[in-house]
Amino acid sequence: MAQNLITRRGLLGAAAAGSALSVFAGPWKHNRVWAAATDKPIKIGITSDASGQYANSGASDRRGMIMAIDEANERGGVLGRKIEWTHIDTETVPATGSRVAERMITREECGFLVGAVHSGVANAISQVAQKYGVIYLNTNSSSPTEAGQNCHRTKFVWDGNGTNFAKAAVKNAIDTYGKKWMLLTNDYVWGHDTAKATKALLAQYGGEVMEEILIPQGTRDFSSALLRVQQQKPGVVSAAIGGDDQKAFRQQVAQLGMGASPAWINSQQDWPDVYGLPIDNLFGVFGTTWYYKLDLPGVADFVKKYQEKYPDTQMRVPGNVFYNGYMATRELLNAIERAGSANNIAVIKALEGHKMSAADRMQHHDAWIDAGTHQVQQTIYLATANSKYSEQDKDDMFEIVANAAPDAVLDTAAAEACKLESYEETPTFDA
Amino acid sequence: MLDLLPHILNGLTLGLLFALIALGFTLIVGVMEVINLAHGSLFALGAYFALSLLGGMWFGDTAFGAWWLSLSIETRYVAALFVGPALAAIAGMALELCLRPTYGKAPLYGLLLTFGAALVIEEIIRLGWGTGEQNLMVPASINGPVLVAGFIYSKYKFFAAGFSIVAIFGVWLFLEKTPYGAIIKAGAHDSEMVRALGYDLSKLRLMVFGFGAALAGLAGIIMVPIWGLRPHVGIDVVIPAFLIIVIGGIGSFWGALVAAIMVGLAVGITGAYAGAWATMSMYILLIIVVGFRSRGLFGRKSALEN
Repeated sequence: MAQNLITRRGLLGAAAAGSALSVFAGPWKHNRVWAAATDKPIKIGITSDASGQYANSGASDRRGMIMAIDEANERGGVLGRKIEWTHIDTETVPATGSRVAERMITREECGFLVGAVHSGVANAISQVAQKYGVIYLNTNSSSPTEAGQNCHRTKFVWDGNGTNFAKAAVKNAIDTYGKKWMLLTNDYVWGHDTAKATKALLAQYGGEVMEEILIPQGTRDFSSALLRVQQQKPGVVSAAIGGDDQKAFRQQVAQLGMGASPAWINSQQDWPDVYGLPIDNLFGVFGTTWYYKLDLPGVADFVKKYQEKYPDTQMRVPGNVFYNGYMATRELLNAIERAGSANNIAVIKALEGHKMSAADRMQHHDAWIDAGTHQVQQTIYLATANSKYSEQDKDDMFEIVANAAPDAVLDTAAAEACKLESYEETPTFDA
Repeated sequence: MLDLLPHILNGLTLGLLFALIALGFTLIVGVMEVINLAHGSLFALGAYFALSLLGGMWFGDTAFGAWWLSLSIETRYVAALFVGPALAAIAGMALELCLRPTYGKAPLYGLLLTFGAALVIEEIIRLGWGTGEQNLMVPASINGPVLVAGFIYSKYKFFAAGFSIVAIFGVWLFLEKTPYGAIIKAGAHDSEMVRALGYDLSKLRLMVFGFGAALAGLAGIIMVPIWGLRPHVGIDVVIPAFLIIVIGGIGSFWGALVAAIMVGLAVGITGAYAGAWATMSMYILLIIVVGFRSRGLFGRKSALEN
């Protein structure tokens, strides 16, 4: 008969081994502790899409991050440590986003995660990041829930959100084009939350939602919805359609000659979604956070740097997605410098409430990272198709018609919905 | 009811386009008993070939290139309608040669091989044409809006639907009225008997795969001005095509056509009144049809069931 007896010697040995392990593993919430003064590289996990609906935006996002990392390395790294990066395709699929985040933290030993365009993917990544206490910069996804009900202590959101863009556009559109609106909404979190923000503003300013048509992600043919728009005859159509869907959608509206009437409001327009489309596809008014021809100091140099670094890229000029990827990564590395440590809590504190001058961000107004929601509060631009567009300069597609200060487009609902975990609830992580 | 008419028209148009996509797919399944998961990639490949041809990308700065670009867009477009499918057919035949070792083995081998081929073709497209969205030019004469019963509709979609009718009729004529068609149909029914009668089964399979791939390429050229052209556009195609051949009955020409129209109507009408259900409507239709008739509307017992 097998015997499982615990001897006194065995018990003492196990206790000694346990004590020794606890010294290395660290107490309670430390997932991993590296020596504080280490020359070990800081490893950043790039969690951007290389396939699926947002593959183009993901590529642009990635180029921005890599440029910021390369610049930091050229300066000698951060805290004397080299920055390394690794990328795994998140496929525009939330489940893949979770798996990628888990792998990057546990197997690739990434101390920070950066990137996302799809809000569902960003939310999935951020849950994993919070579980380990790893700081995650959501560069380009803009559902109001990202800095609202799905906010996390370790997550920072860099793009303007659907509410910011809607606030910049809705009132003006009601005054100009009328109160009868139709909504075309991509049937996922970003679309729903952007539409929700638009509906709330319509209610506030006396507008009326005649109908909302939900557009499944991956829709290639919009003719049913466009025929419905013709039947309903709204004054304004507010479209929250993103990624490759947006391209197909724009082409079909233009093909039907519906770009001029009714009025179209696109809460947000990402550069990779329209780049290369004919100019008549760029109908309506839309929001953005940056344009490569903003008449501000530093913009031309930034464009030149991009072109020197990526001479063979199909997109010949940087767009808002690249800009967000670059700015988020640069500010993360700056925050590590300011914190004097790659400890997550120290870096979070360096990021929270951090003010960024308009000149430094090449925008019209100073920006800051909201300490309550972790969203960057920044200038929101309204744009339309460039009326002076010429075939000689095919890249110059936008005409900036207005800019709104961050205060004017503040998403107060996100601030109410966001309940950040406390520092104590957030596992400590030293990268 | 009047409200519904534009959506019925739209659904019919959409259905004809789906039929064009599904025809090559059903032909290959019928004769080869292989579910060709690379069908969507061949669809994309045909469109990319047409893109290169229309823009003269293959000819560079040569004198021929300059002459080619001096031709009207109509001429280049018509040329692309022939050359794009022909090149897709060559790619399809190359795929068939790769498939040969899998004949006689479990269907899973063929399925996996065509799935792998789809990935390879998609990567080739990324390397050759880039990852970005491309626009396949169409002549101005078939582009733009047209007013139908008070509604603005796409002139190009009418052209595409008309073209689909002609192409479908052409395929039907080929299958019904030519000796080659008779051999293909016989092959679909009993390939071993065709071999016993002295026909070269290898050549038949090569021809069918090439023909199916050409139809996929042709559908690509016609569809991408509506759907947009990107490396993974083929994925958008395979799913409706697969649903259509299952609803219609695997290997059935008329089944594919009827099922495509049904799917088009379902997507068109739900897209207008319950947008969130537009994609789901295809699956619901599948469940209803297969629930009542497991082999699809026009399906007979297929070798896939052996």
